[in-house]
Amino acid sequence: MIDLLQSVGSGVLVGLVYALLGLCIVIIFKASEAFNFAIGEFLIIGSFLFYTLFFNETIPWHKALQIGVVIFLFFAFILFYDKNLRLRIAFPVGMVTGLLIFCFFFFGLKLSSLITSPLLRFLLAFPLGLLAAGMFGSMVERVTIKPLLGRSPISMTIVTLGLGFLLRACVQLIWGSHSYSFFLDLPDITLEIKDLLFLSDPIWAGILSLIIFGLVIAFLFRTRWGLAIRATSEDQAKAMAFGINARFVLLLVWGISALCIAVAGIMISNFGALSAGMGFVGLRALPVVLIGGMDSIGGALIGGILVGICEALAGAYIEPLGLVGFKEVAPYLLLLLVLFIRPYGFFGTVRIERV
Amino acid sequence: MLAIENLRVVYHDVISVLNGISLGVQEGEILIIIGANGAGKTTLLRAISGMIDFYNGDIIEGDIKMGESSIKGLDCTDIMKRYGVTYVMEDRPVFWYLTIEENLKAASFSRWDKQVKADMEEVFEYFPVLQPLRHKKAGYASGGEQQMLAIGMALMTKPKILLLDEPSLGLAPLITEELFQIVKRLNASGITIVLVEQNAHAALNIGTRGYVVETGRIVLDGKAQELLENEDVREFYLGSGEKERKSYKDAKRYKRRKRWL
Repeated sequence: MIDLLQSVGSGVLVGLVYALLGLCIVIIFKASEAFNFAIGEFLIIGSFLFYTLFFNETIPWHKALQIGVVIFLFFAFILFYDKNLRLRIAFPVGMVTGLLIFCFFFFGLKLSSLITSPLLRFLLAFPLGLLAAGMFGSMVERVTIKPLLGRSPISMTIVTLGLGFLLRACVQLIWGSHSYSFFLDLPDITLEIKDLLFLSDPIWAGILSLIIFGLVIAFLFRTRWGLAIRATSEDQAKAMAFGINARFVLLLVWGISALCIAVAGIMISNFGALSAGMGFVGLRALPVVLIGGMDSIGGALIGGILVGICEALAGAYIEPLGLVGFKEVAPYLLLLLVLFIRPYGFFGTVRIERV
Repeated sequence: MLAIENLRVVYHDVISVLNGISLGVQEGEILIIIGANGAGKTTLLRAISGMIDFYNGDIIEGDIKMGESSIKGLDCTDIMKRYGVTYVMEDRPVFWYLTIEENLKAASFSRWDKQVKADMEEVFEYFPVLQPLRHKKAGYASGGEQQMLAIGMALMTKPKILLLDEPSLGLAPLITEELFQIVKRLNASGITIVLVEQNAHAALNIGTRGYVVETGRIVLDGKAQELLENEDVREFYLGSGEKERKSYKDAKRYKRRKRWL
């Protein structure tokens, strides 16, 4: 009994992180009907951006320079591409931003030498890192998704597939493929009730994920930007006809999504170490959203928790039987079962599509 | 106020829909555009409102002028904000999964200010039927209510020119009548209206001027009353020619003989 409670409890905590991953997929799917297969790479990049800030990591100049140049080219290209903004704006903006990013990577922010308290450092680095991740997400959207607005969602999905490979290669180029030790040093809130023991890290992960989840939902359902996002996700053409800038909304959605993925990535890295090969964790979002339903935000939460519990139970009861690694497969088996019974997931909208 | 000069629009680089259409909209009028299916009425509205990009269409010739400045090739949100041209798409463009109040709020996104609440009450005053439904999802509203909501949403954007694309689509005659009375009221309050309609009779009755579009060209224009009395319009669009019914053979020959230009 204690065993069961223990594994269900820790399953729920990990499940909340998965729910956040699922949410990222769901909001992108709702807004553009595309599935973001690059989620694993977004996860790594988000974590690395945070890592750079938090652990005072600097990068040798020949690598930092590349990033600076890429950022510069990005701004030059994007702003020049826009008809309203001419080259004279694009050039300096790209130059300055590229230089800033270069400095950021090359000199580092020296946060660790400025602020000794790890909690304070975390409180400062966390929003900054998330902001950087969000900006990165919107940057990616501008280059890859925006030109496809109004086209078939399948083409966007395929683009994210290719994007995943590209980003993974970039991460390996910049940060290398070795592991980085990752320890947030958050206050110890290990919970011990009788024989149950919940470690501090998973509890922090669950709480922070839940907070971010709540913030995103509040943003979607309480603010006017959220309203614009919900309207656009229903029909881009209608939204544009009523003066909602669907292109900007898409940028916003990708930004938010990248931001949430970064939170999940940081939490997952905190369980172990951070390395470029960690991207497969992001694909855990696949069973989450498919179980919950591709277009249901509540479904993402339920699906995430289900996947977490399923994984923990498989780890506690089936793996000791000699099936090592069954933990990784269990969510997909659950997914298979659910799809047999409800092809649209538990909370997904049953849509009638005629081909 | 709004002038379209020799406009040519091509979809997907091959399908030519508008072949050099020219027309002018004067301030404060209700302009009726009638034409058969596929004549290019909707495309014309899309081109004016800047939505044409979204549908893979290109303006390959001609110009759209608002006063002195050209609005060709601008983004639709820009056109709406700067020039006050709001396009109400055909087939009741409301957001089904949002409540009616949220629909109105979403439509006022481009000009979010303190006025929104007051404007919303104004819309409910125009369309009293929406008042009791304000917290219901728009998808559950009836066709007439959805169309009224769509026009209400357009009002929330504070338009100077309202482009209405077949508001009577799929509505009962009585509702259509009510809707057109409201359109007339809107016009009286100072909004210029461009109304594309299949229901030519009802539309021409409230309009001030009218154009007849065929295969992407203007073939006839004039005062709405004149058009109502025009032989050809009566025969082709109102279905009530004065003459005795022609046999199919006659009709065929007649059609071949009859070119609008």
